[in-house]
Amino acid sequence: MGNLDDPRLMYKYRTREHGTVEADPKRARFQWVSEVAYKNVHRIVARGYDTTELVEEGYGLTDMLFIDFQSRIPLIEEEQMLNYVMVCMFEDGLSSPANIARIVASGKTLLTQAAGSSILAFGHAYGAYQTFGKMLDGILAKQAKEGKPLEEVVGAIVKKRLKDPALGVSNLMLKDPMAKRMIARAEKLGVAGKYIPLMKEVVKAAQKLSKEPVDIDMLGATGAVMLDLGFTPEATWCILSVTRAFATGAHYCEENEQEEPVRLGQTLTPKEWYDGPADRPVPTLEERKSVAKAMEAQTPEEWKQIFLERQKIKGSGWAIVEEIDDPKRKI
Amino acid sequence: MDRQPLFKRRTAISYKTEEETVVRGYNVSDLAEAGYTFYDMLFILFQNRIAAENEVDMLRYETGEFLEHSMSPSAVSAIGVINGRPNLPAAVAASVMTFGSAHGPGAAHGYMMHKYIERARVEGKSIEEMGKILVDEYMDAGLAVMGLGQPQHLDGDPRAEPTHIKHEQLCSGVYLELQRSIEKHFNARRKKEGKEYVAVNMIGAGNTALAELGFSPTAAWCIGCVCRGFSCAAHATFTMKKGRAWGASKREPMVQMLDLSMIKYVGPADREVPTQAERQEYAKKQKEEGEYKKWVI
Repeated sequence: MGNLDDPRLMYKYRTREHGTVEADPKRARFQWVSEVAYKNVHRIVARGYDTTELVEEGYGLTDMLFIDFQSRIPLIEEEQMLNYVMVCMFEDGLSSPANIARIVASGKTLLTQAAGSSILAFGHAYGAYQTFGKMLDGILAKQAKEGKPLEEVVGAIVKKRLKDPALGVSNLMLKDPMAKRMIARAEKLGVAGKYIPLMKEVVKAAQKLSKEPVDIDMLGATGAVMLDLGFTPEATWCILSVTRAFATGAHYCEENEQEEPVRLGQTLTPKEWYDGPADRPVPTLEERKSVAKAMEAQTPEEWKQIFLERQKIKGSGWAIVEEIDDPKRKI
Repeated sequence: MDRQPLFKRRTAISYKTEEETVVRGYNVSDLAEAGYTFYDMLFILFQNRIAAENEVDMLRYETGEFLEHSMSPSAVSAIGVINGRPNLPAAVAASVMTFGSAHGPGAAHGYMMHKYIERARVEGKSIEEMGKILVDEYMDAGLAVMGLGQPQHLDGDPRAEPTHIKHEQLCSGVYLELQRSIEKHFNARRKKEGKEYVAVNMIGAGNTALAELGFSPTAAWCIGCVCRGFSCAAHATFTMKKGRAWGASKREPMVQMLDLSMIKYVGPADREVPTQAERQEYAKKQKEEGEYKKWVI
C-alpha cells in the first residue's frame, strides 16, 4: 500500500498493533498538578488562601492577582499602584485590541470570542511586556556578569534596540503626561525598586542616541512599574492584556448596537489598492503542463536564488524572519 | 509612525489624542491620580458613571472571588494551549473564549431575569410571584433553570451564598428578589417531585449582583469571563514555567495528560482501508447500509 512497505521505514506497518495503550500501573495516575489553586466540594483555595474568606475579609481582584501570580498578600501601596496601572491600561481608544474585538463582533459572534481575541493583539510590539521585561532583566544580568558601569551596559543595548517597539521609549507620550505621572506615583508610594531607576537609564540613553525627541512610553512605564511590583514579564503580559480585554467588551457592545453585521463575501477590496500581478487568463489543465514549473532547488545556490525570488512575493512570508523562541528559556 | 486608526468608527466610549486618553469624558490619567480603581473603571466604561462606594465594594468582592476557580474548562483550555508553547496571550485568549452556554452563561441568565421582571411590570404581578412563574414555565418546558447547580460543588458553590448575603448587605434590589424567589420555588417543586435540593451557583449569585449593580447582561458576562482570564493566565504561566511541554513525557513520574494511555477509544473497530479499485463499490455499500450514521457528529 503506497510507500508502507518501504524498507527505510522504522517498523513494519503491516503488522502494527491495533487498539489503544494500556494504563501504566507503575506510574501515578494523571492529575491536574497546580501550585496556583485547588478546589474541593466546599472550598476554592488560591496559594493556600480560601478565596471566599479573602473577599469576606475585604480583599479584591487586585489582591488576587498578587496571590495568584506571586503567592503573597500585597502591601496596601502595592495594591494601590496595581490599581493605578490597571486604570491607565483599561482603555486605549480604537487601538488593536478594540479593533480586533469589533471585527470579531461584526461577524455576529459571542462576546467571549471578541474579548478573547482582543488579547491576541498583545505580541512582541504591541504591549510587548515579555520582550520588554526580558530586555531589562538581560541588562541587569549582563551588568552583573561583566561588572561594567550600568550606564555603559544600558547604552550598548539601547544603541542596538533604539527602534525596537519593545524598548519602552518612543515619541508616543511626548505630549501626554500619563506615563511620567505613573512613574512619579510609584516613587511616591515607595514601590519603585530596581526597574524604575533602570528604565530611567534606558530613557536617558535613548534620548542621547535618538535624533528625534523621545521619552518613556506606556510600555516602559507600566512595564517597569509592574516588574517593581514583583510581577514577572510573563505575568505582566497576561495581567495587562486581560485588563484591556474588559474594555473591548464595551467596544463589542457598541459595534453590535451601532453597526450592521458583516456577511461573508460582503467586504470589497478596491482594485486601485491592488499592486499584485496584472490580470491574466487561467491556463487549462492541459496548458498547465507547459506553463507550470516545479520550484525544488537542487543546490544551495539554486536554493538561494529561489529564496530571494520568493522574498519578492508579497504575502508569501518569505521576507519575514521570525524565531519562535521557547518562552520558558531563561535569560 | 502612523497613528491613524485602522478603520473609522464613531464611538461614545473613548478618544485618544497625543495629549490624553479620555473614557466617557474622564481623563484616564486624572482618574488614576484621583485614586479611582479598576472597579470604578468598569462602571465608567460600561455605565458611563462614577459608582457609589457600596457598589464598588460589591464589585471588588465579586471580581475577587470570581477570579480563581482552579480547574474549570477555561483553566484546562489555557493549560492545553500552552502545552504547545505559543505566546502566552494565545493561551489566555483561549481561556476566555471557553466561556459559552455551559461554562459561565452569564448573559443568558441576565436576559432571563430581564424578561421576567418586565413581565412582572406589565402583568402587574409581584417579583415573588414571577419567580414561581419562571420556574414553572422553565420546568414544564423541560428547560434548565439557569443559575442553579454546579457539577463540582455538589452541596452548593462555596462562593455563591456568601455573594447573595453580601449582595443583600450592599445593594439589594429587584434582581436579588427575583433570584431568591427562583431558588425558593425551584427547590419547592423539586422537593414535591422527591428530588434533592440544588443550590444557587455563581451565575445565579454573581450575575444577579452584577445586574443589580447596573451592568447589562453582556457587560456582566464580559466582567465575569475576562476576570477569570487572569487566573487562567496564572495556570498557563505555571504550566509553561514548571510543566513539561506537550504533556506526554514518559520521563515524568506521573502519567501526563496526553500520555497515550489516557486515550479511551469508543469509535468503530479498526478496519481495512479499501484500495482505490474497490473504493466506489465499497463507498456505495457503506452508504446503503447506513451504519455510519450512528457515528456522524
